[in-house]
Amino acid sequence: MKSRWFWHGVYGFILLALAVSIYAASRTVDYTWRWDRVPDYIVAYEDADLRTTLTGIVEITDGRVQIIGTQDAAASESFADLDEILVEDGDYVFDGDVIGSRSGWRIGPLAWGLVVTLQLSILALLFSVPIGLLAGLGRVSTNPAARNLAATYVEIIRGTPLLVQIFIFYFFVGTVLSLSRMTAGVAALAVFTGAYIAEIVRAGIESIPKGQMEAARSLGMSYGQAMRHVILPQAMRRTLPPMAGQLINLIKDSSLVSVIAITDLTKAGREVVNSTFSPFEIWFTVAGMYLVLTASLSLVIRRFELRLARADG
Amino acid sequence: MSASVEICNVSKLFGNGVRALDKVSLTVAAGEVVCIVGPSGSGKSTLLRTVNRLETVTDGDVLIDGESIHTASKQLNALRQKAGMVFQQFNLFPHLSVIDNITLAPLKVCAEPVETVRQRAQQLLDRVGLGDRGDSYPAQLSGGQQQRVAIARALAMQPEVMLFDEPTSALDPEMVGGVLDVMKALASDGMTMLVVTHEMGFARAVADRVVFMESGRIEQIAQPEAFFEPANGSRLDTFLGQVLR
Repeated sequence: MKSRWFWHGVYGFILLALAVSIYAASRTVDYTWRWDRVPDYIVAYEDADLRTTLTGIVEITDGRVQIIGTQDAAASESFADLDEILVEDGDYVFDGDVIGSRSGWRIGPLAWGLVVTLQLSILALLFSVPIGLLAGLGRVSTNPAARNLAATYVEIIRGTPLLVQIFIFYFFVGTVLSLSRMTAGVAALAVFTGAYIAEIVRAGIESIPKGQMEAARSLGMSYGQAMRHVILPQAMRRTLPPMAGQLINLIKDSSLVSVIAITDLTKAGREVVNSTFSPFEIWFTVAGMYLVLTASLSLVIRRFELRLARADG
Repeated sequence: MSASVEICNVSKLFGNGVRALDKVSLTVAAGEVVCIVGPSGSGKSTLLRTVNRLETVTDGDVLIDGESIHTASKQLNALRQKAGMVFQQFNLFPHLSVIDNITLAPLKVCAEPVETVRQRAQQLLDRVGLGDRGDSYPAQLSGGQQQRVAIARALAMQPEVMLFDEPTSALDPEMVGGVLDVMKALASDGMTMLVVTHEMGFARAVADRVVFMESGRIEQIAQPEAFFEPANGSRLDTFLGQVLR
């Protein structure tokens, strides 16, 4: 017991030593740490200007600003709950003029990036699992066409860099099918992850003893029925841990789509660095945000595994 | 209820050139119990597995109730339902409870109503002496109990022939009796049975005929009394001398 606490202490000490050395290293390059700037790029309380989209005359009644169009009398636009009003009753305003401002909580670019990364990951995940399942079933099929197609898909995808695949999806597939950036990005990630999931599914199916399929077939079940009711339920349980690892990879790999100008967490980080000149803080923050995403996913999956293990009886 | 099995001139050549079965013919009448014995590697399990086409044949055919198993590929699943199979390793579905193991195929393959199937499953469990274990999972049962569930599972499809592939070989000695009792009861109910086994006592007591196989060929077929009669120093005698020692 005593020696265990000692080693926990050693662990803490090493972490502390690392932190100190990182700090010391930053001192040698004459860097001014400005952590106070970082929160503004996640969420901030700030004023935002509100602009009109019409050209017309201002009418103010009880703090409520209304713009009556002059070119089209039927058009009107109103602004309520303004914290500051910058126009007066009867003013003539043009399209794009600032009417007033309203203060409140704004979601900063890093938080937006996080949302986009989440969106990308979830969408890619939803598509990659069926793709992987299908390809995995193809890999273990006795039909040569299905088997070879699946093997070719897996080999090509696993044999080329994801970055190159993203470029191909964006510049070639995206152009031919006129896909949006987001669609191309999600498609590239889904197809990439699908190949890895296919191998996980294949390994899972092959880990089930041959006798299970034989027993199911001897009872008169078709291949599909045996797969669906006997093999896959058992295989899925075994594939959960490697599947979790792959999904965490997916979240991390999604950072590569920033090269086709999708403003995910990584691209947002780069943009914020350009405007703040605080690369150290921002990149550490971005890393931390990825870590929050992946760690919470790990946690959810571990819960799920425990529940399955309990249901195993 | 029970059907005949005709194994006609079946040959099986494995990919590596090994001739597992060499022109084997055997006719089993409806309601007959035939035990197949022989040294390991003699092809007896392979022969049994060709009967419901878990193993394909290189040549020849198997007829169950007059219907070809190895040419009619379209109704293969329907034909397989006629032959229930019990494996050496039980092969119960570990993720399903005992009752679900038994009801899965009737529900999915025959789309029978749930109530009918559940009732039949419960009757079968009672019959194999495990009426109170329906909610257990296979891993919670002993080997002998698992094998009896496997028999009930095969019977739930209401087969006309039962195939047993060394059903007691993976069991602890004290578990063997229970399984053999279930098989005896089944035999006396008039089920056609093909049993690959090392249980000479069972073969002697229950079989109508005993088949001795060696090197992919049937060397001898005889009624049990004659089969176990010591004679003339044949290969069968050597084999029996080894297993009955």
